[in-house]
Amino acid sequence: MKPIFLVIEMSAMVFISPAFFWAGALLMAAPILIHIINRRRFKRVDWAAMDFLLRAMKRNRRRLRFEQILLLATRCSLLLLLGLALARPLGCSQSSLAQLAAARTGLHVLVIDNSYPMAYQTDRPGAPTQLDQAKALAKEILSRLSSGGESVAIVTASRPARAVIATPSYDLHEAEAVIDRIEQSYADTDEAGALTAARDIATAATDQPNKNLYLIDNSRRAAWERDPDDLRRTAAQLATIFKAGITHFNVGTPGQWNDAVVDLHAAQPLVTDRFATDFVADVRGYGTEAADAKVNWTVDGQPMNAGTLADHIGPDASPITFTLSSLAGGIHVITAAVAGGDNLKIDDTRARVVNVVSQLKVLIVEGERGIGGLGSSGAFLDIALNPAGATDRNSDSCVATERISDLELGDKILSDYRCICLCGVGQIQEQEAADLEKFVRQGGTLMVFMGDPVTAENYNATLLKHHLLPGPLTRRVTTGADQPPMHFAFDPNGVLHPLLADFRGHDDTGMEAAEIYTYWQVDLPPDSKVERVLDFLPPPGSKTDARDPAITVHSLGSGRVVFYATSADPNSEWTTFMAHQAYPALMHMLVLGTVGGGDEWLNVTVGQSITIPPDVKLTTAPRLRDADQADYPLQQTADEDGQTIYRSAPMRKPGIYSLSTGVDTYRIAVNVPSDDADVRMLDDAGLKKALGDIDLRLEGDSLPAETAQIQPEKDLGWSVMAAVFLLVASECFMAMKFGHDRKT
Amino acid sequence: MTQPDTGYRKYLQPRTLARISALDLRARLIVEGLMAGMHRSPYQGISVEFAQHRPYVPGDDIRHVDWKVFGKTDKIYLKQYLEETNLHLICVVDASESMAYGSIAEESFSWSKYDHATAIAASLSYMAVRQQDAAGLAIFDNELRKFFKPSNSPGQWKLITRELTLVPRQKKTNTGRVLEQLAEKLTHRSLVVLLSDFFDDLDSLQKGLRHLRYRKHEVMAFQILDPMEVDFSFNDVTLFKGLEGGGELVTEPRSLRQGYLAELAEFTRLLKQMCRGMHIDFTRMNSGEPLDVSLSAFLATRSASIT
Repeated sequence: MKPIFLVIEMSAMVFISPAFFWAGALLMAAPILIHIINRRRFKRVDWAAMDFLLRAMKRNRRRLRFEQILLLATRCSLLLLLGLALARPLGCSQSSLAQLAAARTGLHVLVIDNSYPMAYQTDRPGAPTQLDQAKALAKEILSRLSSGGESVAIVTASRPARAVIATPSYDLHEAEAVIDRIEQSYADTDEAGALTAARDIATAATDQPNKNLYLIDNSRRAAWERDPDDLRRTAAQLATIFKAGITHFNVGTPGQWNDAVVDLHAAQPLVTDRFATDFVADVRGYGTEAADAKVNWTVDGQPMNAGTLADHIGPDASPITFTLSSLAGGIHVITAAVAGGDNLKIDDTRARVVNVVSQLKVLIVEGERGIGGLGSSGAFLDIALNPAGATDRNSDSCVATERISDLELGDKILSDYRCICLCGVGQIQEQEAADLEKFVRQGGTLMVFMGDPVTAENYNATLLKHHLLPGPLTRRVTTGADQPPMHFAFDPNGVLHPLLADFRGHDDTGMEAAEIYTYWQVDLPPDSKVERVLDFLPPPGSKTDARDPAITVHSLGSGRVVFYATSADPNSEWTTFMAHQAYPALMHMLVLGTVGGGDEWLNVTVGQSITIPPDVKLTTAPRLRDADQADYPLQQTADEDGQTIYRSAPMRKPGIYSLSTGVDTYRIAVNVPSDDADVRMLDDAGLKKALGDIDLRLEGDSLPAETAQIQPEKDLGWSVMAAVFLLVASECFMAMKFGHDRKT
Repeated sequence: MTQPDTGYRKYLQPRTLARISALDLRARLIVEGLMAGMHRSPYQGISVEFAQHRPYVPGDDIRHVDWKVFGKTDKIYLKQYLEETNLHLICVVDASESMAYGSIAEESFSWSKYDHATAIAASLSYMAVRQQDAAGLAIFDNELRKFFKPSNSPGQWKLITRELTLVPRQKKTNTGRVLEQLAEKLTHRSLVVLLSDFFDDLDSLQKGLRHLRYRKHEVMAFQILDPMEVDFSFNDVTLFKGLEGGGELVTEPRSLRQGYLAELAEFTRLLKQMCRGMHIDFTRMNSGEPLDVSLSAFLATRSASIT
């Protein structure tokens, strides 16, 4: 090879650790410097036999100079080559330099999807599921790597995405063992998290510029179309980091399809033993033509009937309703299972735990206590919610109300109620506001009605401070005596808030005719997450179209807060809405639409933790067991208020768990996440688009022959090191034979 | 293998002698030590005239057995010689600058080639005076600096040792011319012992030696070299500054060692060849070795040549 070509090839080289090369280049000057320094550092000897020395010098001058230059050049080359060897140069595969070395180097990051849809059964020999196929493929990739030169990192993509080999390992056998140990998860996919983990691993591996990324999954659109912005942003970073290539392997089954029950809930938030309850199962079919499917129901493990037929289920919502006429009070487990022949069974059945109660207890706190039945500020609300009285089993209402004065509020145990209504309460003490906030955060509903006694300063200082108002009360709006009343902006045929859904299409509710004379204007912050349930029409003569909110709702913790801008007091001169027939219905909608059943914590999905609320009575340390009666750990911790609560680790397997508290035994339903049931595959273009159209190599469910040729560039480090050893030996020999000299 | 420095031999080591400043004391130590080691009289070896027979006793050298008497009488007698009183010994010592070189040095002493030469000269003179021979001295560099005619007077040896101590060593060598001058001065046939490193022009030296031999003088040449001059065992980079104006050279000595030794060997070979051609005894002495080795070799050589 001509030297000039060698120089060109060297300049085109990539180094794994270029700093060593430059260090070697700098150190190359060291022998020359030492030589120069030695010229100035010598012993002085008065010598008698000088003639012999000079004659010897004269005869050997050329030889000595040649040896000196040769030795100096060897030492300089030695340091340069040592730096070069430590820098580990890479030659391209066509390079003649690269042919000198067969050793390969590189980092290979494998992202293996082990989320629950990867449990999709296949007919591949030796790989019962798609995850098995993915693991086999991953091990085949490892088998083609060069031991000692190539390192591997592995990330699993089920939520939460986790690097099972976070520090690149050169132990390929151990990496295979790690792949074998990857378990089928029942969580959904977190591709964005997995790609982020892969990016972080590759970024940290600065000693390996030759980086490859392998994505192994079944190309589900549910996985790749989630978090699109995050995916594209991360993919763009990956494209710059994994310069050696990004390869996607699709281990999906062509035409794969799946039927799943993606949701199961009671039609009403509150399930009572007084009325029949509708349960709704959302059954969907992905990947097939819309077809009928049979849904089987069970209550506490007992089949309820011959099943219901779901017509033409497809990827869109297909609610199937099943009515349970009689449920005794207490905890019950309802399951709905779609009887399909799909290959992903885990999401065919969904369970729901319901806490059946006898009544919904509502506490009405009155700011004004009147004489007579309707003299109090909460009287009409009481009648509206519980027209026949709490004890009447034949009542159409399951609501049991209790009216107290605002002075008694501090004496009540708020967790005994599902809903608390503040009706024209004038002053709220700080402690009362704190207790109310805690009540809401633990799942209760607070309804705040205005009235004459209400003082904006106090409400803004207490309720607003504890997030129990949608915004500050700013102005009391009142129509003059000679002005027409104000009205709700209500259109039964227009866009209605879900809480008012039952009014849809009913032109005779009287809502739009309700007359309002006074209300408190509340200022909603621009970034507020408060939902406007109903607005007021602009006051007559108003110059703007701005509408003030009449009813709002917002979430706080596990509960909700309803703000009612006008009064519930019939004796005030605020509104005459109570006289309309829509009033009781609206109050029921607001209460029943916002209260929780108290059983939310009994229904979780894989990946979520079970948290025992503080109001659950415990007489001993709670004990959680899975469907196989194996203990599942609970940890004692403290909530925001410092109260002791118990919380489990994120749930890993679906099923019906049991929780013993010493007083009761609760059953807890753990379902697979519903987001990943869509197993339809993205085509190549869709996959590339999901990843921001980066340069992506798309492969099937096996390693193609040409993949074996996707060889990392050649690492010349060992070859150069061999040259170093050779030079060291030569230098030792020459140093033994030669010296260096100079005539002054 | 070198002998262990035990008993008398330790007084013959240059390192021991170097600690003794008085040259006369050095010479006595050398001679007495030499005698103790040889277990026989050194004086007999120098004389050549027969005196009488005496009976053999165990321990006598059988080389002096008179085999003719033994053949006639079956009795073993030794031949004994009269001490020769008319031998003239002249030690010619090179006192040039090159003789000042000595690698044997410690804090309290040093041992140069000149020290070695003067120790030998003093020792030989001591032996000569002890057996009533006449001993003389010549010291030179590029000129004949000192010359004492041979004498067997009791104070001659003291004179010789004092002069050997005092002579400075600063000049270049011109051995050939000095020998010619010396040849003109010596009127009596003498034994000339030449002590020098002979780092000089060989042609000139040859001319001088030839002149001595022409005058029928017996000549013995002792080339005295320092151990470092013999094996050139320097390691570090060294600036060699030539004595007698030989120039300077900075070199890595290991690289030049073979070349140097080859030059030295060639010079020595020529020197030996020249001496042999003129029937001159040539002995190379290492100033790092004990003096008895050198002197014993000298006496043995002389004895063999006389016998």
